[in-house]
Amino acid sequence: MLLDLLPHLVNGLTLGLLFALVALGFMLIVGLMEQINLAHGSLFALGAYFALVIVGGERSLSPWIGDAWYAVPLGVRYAVALIVAPIVVAVIGMGVEVLMRRTYGKDPLFGLLLTFGIALVIEEAIRGVWSTRDYVLQTPSGISGGFIFNDLIWSTYRFYAAGFAAAAIALVWLFIEKTPYGAVIKAGAHDNEMVRALGINLSRLRLFVFAFGTLLAAVAGIILAPIWGIRPHMGVDAVVPAFLVIVLGGIGSFWGAVIASLLCGMLVGLTGAYASEWSLLSIYLLLIAVTAVRARGLFGKKSLLEN
Amino acid sequence: MSKFKTTRRGLLKGSAMTAALAGTAVIFGPWRHNHVLAQGQKKSIKLGFTCDASGQYGNSGQDDLRGARLAIDEFNAKGGVLGRKIEWITADTETTPATGSRVAERFITREECGFLIGAVHSGVANAITQVAAKYGTIYLNTNSSAPSEAGENCSRVKFVWDGNGTNFSKAAVRNAVNSIGKNWLLLTNDYVWGHTTSESTRKQVEAAGGKIIDNLLVPQNTRDFTSYLLKVQQSKPDVVATAVGGDDIKALRTQVAQLKLDGKPAWINNQQDWPDIWGAPESLFGVFGTTWYHKLKLPGVEEFVKRWQAANKGGPIPVPGNVSYNGYVATRELLRSIERAGTTNNIAVIKQLENMKNTAADRMQHHDAFMDPVTHQVQQTIYLARRNPKPVDDTDYYEIVGQSDPSSVLDDGAPGKCKLVPHEQVPTYEL
Amino acid sequence: MLPSPKASPYLVTPAIAIVLLLLATVPFWIERIGLYPYLGVEILIWSIYALGFNLLLGYTGLPSFGHGAYFGIGAYAFGLAQFNLVPNLWVCLLVAVLAAALAGTFVSLFISHRRGIYFALMTIAFGQVFWFISIKWHSVTGGEDGLLKIRRLPADFGVMQFDLSSSNYALYYFVLVAFALVLIGLWRLVNSPYGRILQAIRQNETRVTFLGYSVWWFKVSIFTLSAAISGFAGALFAMAQTSAFPDVMSLHHSGYIVMMTLVGGGLVSFWGPVIGVFAFLLTRDLIGAFTTAWMFWFGLFFVLIMLFKPEGIAGLLRDVKNGLLARFSAPTPTPVRERGN
Repeated sequence: MLLDLLPHLVNGLTLGLLFALVALGFMLIVGLMEQINLAHGSLFALGAYFALVIVGGERSLSPWIGDAWYAVPLGVRYAVALIVAPIVVAVIGMGVEVLMRRTYGKDPLFGLLLTFGIALVIEEAIRGVWSTRDYVLQTPSGISGGFIFNDLIWSTYRFYAAGFAAAAIALVWLFIEKTPYGAVIKAGAHDNEMVRALGINLSRLRLFVFAFGTLLAAVAGIILAPIWGIRPHMGVDAVVPAFLVIVLGGIGSFWGAVIASLLCGMLVGLTGAYASEWSLLSIYLLLIAVTAVRARGLFGKKSLLEN
Repeated sequence: MSKFKTTRRGLLKGSAMTAALAGTAVIFGPWRHNHVLAQGQKKSIKLGFTCDASGQYGNSGQDDLRGARLAIDEFNAKGGVLGRKIEWITADTETTPATGSRVAERFITREECGFLIGAVHSGVANAITQVAAKYGTIYLNTNSSAPSEAGENCSRVKFVWDGNGTNFSKAAVRNAVNSIGKNWLLLTNDYVWGHTTSESTRKQVEAAGGKIIDNLLVPQNTRDFTSYLLKVQQSKPDVVATAVGGDDIKALRTQVAQLKLDGKPAWINNQQDWPDIWGAPESLFGVFGTTWYHKLKLPGVEEFVKRWQAANKGGPIPVPGNVSYNGYVATRELLRSIERAGTTNNIAVIKQLENMKNTAADRMQHHDAFMDPVTHQVQQTIYLARRNPKPVDDTDYYEIVGQSDPSSVLDDGAPGKCKLVPHEQVPTYEL
Repeated sequence: MLPSPKASPYLVTPAIAIVLLLLATVPFWIERIGLYPYLGVEILIWSIYALGFNLLLGYTGLPSFGHGAYFGIGAYAFGLAQFNLVPNLWVCLLVAVLAAALAGTFVSLFISHRRGIYFALMTIAFGQVFWFISIKWHSVTGGEDGLLKIRRLPADFGVMQFDLSSSNYALYYFVLVAFALVLIGLWRLVNSPYGRILQAIRQNETRVTFLGYSVWWFKVSIFTLSAAISGFAGALFAMAQTSAFPDVMSLHHSGYIVMMTLVGGGLVSFWGPVIGVFAFLLTRDLIGAFTTAWMFWFGLFFVLIMLFKPEGIAGLLRDVKNGLLARFSAPTPTPVRERGN
């Protein structure tokens, strides 16, 4: 019986890491800039679509790319997509930040609503350009397929994705905690007047954080695309869990969000095995239960978003 | 409102009420549209296509439309129907029932469409049916495979042109228990269509001497099937029968293909729609159902495919599939029924549709097809297919592994659940 | 910071009277301008919904992103009451309103101590829970197939009876009367002391507490009322569609009502939500006839409004009016912008 449980625990863990990856960019922007970026989901989707265009796959997608590019091995194309697509999305993210500037200082609700509108526009634009149909992002054979362990077939790609997620979390944490840039960002969140007084360009800082956050959203989109599929409304699959995980973990807490992601992943993975009809609803119920007891989430700190 | 002769009863009620409210002239009087036509010119017949262009079934909806338009063009080339040209209009029903209601109302009252065609989502189809039944407008549900469409949600004005979940599961399950194995596991999407389909599968399996070892429910919008796939492997069934549809089956397909889980156990899926599969042949797994395939070795198929391609050059999908086919056949049969009736009076056309019979050659299928007058669902050949290991070209995704004639895959439960109102109670109109 | 409103002593302002009279004439010319009566019915129903919604967003500053749930509950309750209790219009409407109000009270008990982003997220969570229930409990709701064959029950006043099922015009007038009642009722509400406290809560909750009011109780009561009105609109919609479906409870649809209310200017004007509904549904019908990308343009319009004129269309109209007034009258001190003119 317990041995039967083990694969599901592992599955829950990998799912949790994937949730954390999806929430990473969102978490940065919320935690460090105290802005809710509902366009996170659409930028997640854009990352996947841009990667699709770069990797190719179907000629109709990118008619301007010559045959020479398709001759390049899939692994190389995929790596290029993984680097270039997020950068393009980060540029778009900077554009979003510029638009957001009008809402700083006002009720955070305005920022929320503005990004909601931007999310809608991006999703409709995606639908206009790439139509409603589903696409598949091809992955290099080295990370695709399955492997057998303990008599069960596991998805190689999923472990690659989970490993990637873990690495990304670690790198972001290192960046924030251990580098001088990270220190500046944290200081800016804590007391932006002081940061200005120290001579640091606050608006450039914010631009950078937004770019970084949206870059992570795009990366998450590319990593999750082979599992969740590519379609115009895929952004909702990202932004709702991200939002849930952040509030569950507590706004302003990096590790809170990570732990909340793992918790949600385990919950979905385990209910999927033993009470599958509740698997999707369980995270909403968890959120309601936790916030009824601890209003700020598990590790939340008092933030500007509360006023 | 304008062009329709409503029944005396309806008109009287309406006028009395509004006279009471407004205390003035009857509203319907002076504002009736009067179309004064040139001498000898006959008014065209307008068809309204309630097809999705966005949302989950946006792709299928548009493919549906493509097939239907081919039928219209063919008729117009021969001079139309009853000597009248056929016009058509379409609007996006957004895979949303509330939009379906509005579009149907608009088409009937503003655009004066005499007939509505098109649906994939059962909720949208039902919303449209409610509106159509109010006015007596004939509605063709071309592509919704919900068993309830022919059962408790049937309607005197609605005709269903797709096989439903029960038809497909009957076709698939019949021999599989004996040929593959007795232990079956069900994966059921946790909504009406999923449950109805799985119930039918269960009955079939148990009748053939098999056993359902587990039924895993899959909530709508599940993107990650790993826990289900792990359970499947742990339970070690002989066959897994899925009643999973929409976006969920697409995710399941991708994940099963990635794991190369196809083969052991055997998978039996329900109907797969061609627009959903296009572009991802490697994700096809198991055995699944369809009402038609563009490479069937039957007379007429090749010509039909060529005609369709000529009309749809540069479109997103290069060959017609079951969705387009259903749209084509439905529209064609409607127009033929109008011809046979000799009038556009809706009751007369309904009666002709109820008696519709097509030969196999005419349908480009293996068996004759006919309309069941009790449930208003077309009974047609059901094909079983799987991924083609030796495609002859890059559109040859399917290998047909079997076909069932309609009488062997009848949805027995439907006639009992379907209660059609008598013809006399349907509001009449004539264009 | 919005200026405080001056309470209006009138039950019915000239604006309300003119609008209602205008709407009463609509069936006479709606087809002439190329529209159709069902659209009129839908616009009025959503206007009721939006007015109820704006009590929360515009007046109390509580963003509800899951309000579709109460609309949907009203629709289902109406149908279920008709099938299982008694097919009487008034009873079914009452049941719908009570069911939605109950749901609203239940949710608000959980979340009324929050506000802002936290509040918004919790409304999403509850909205999703209700949507999920409506799909899963298909033995009661019909699931994705919908709850069908809901009848437009006759409006029986004892002395006379109006048949609402014969045509959309009949239903239109009934919905218009409902709209008028809700409009006038809410107008009185927001201009009452209760309404002023709501607006005070929006501006600064802490100060309201210092003044001795129980903010929590006000939030619960207004959420309940808002849900009740949305449920009422839902019941009317069930009559319009003669069915009820889960789609109105989806995240998408809940987002639409937020957009409509904001675009119309719900943050600054009593009429804002109604203007927004007209703008949205007319755009959808008119532009949607030409292109399936109409939502893209509307979304763009919404973004521009949020960026440059969060006061919405109502704010724009007000600017135009004030601009014209300033031009054509002798120089006077700029009048204090009153709410809900």
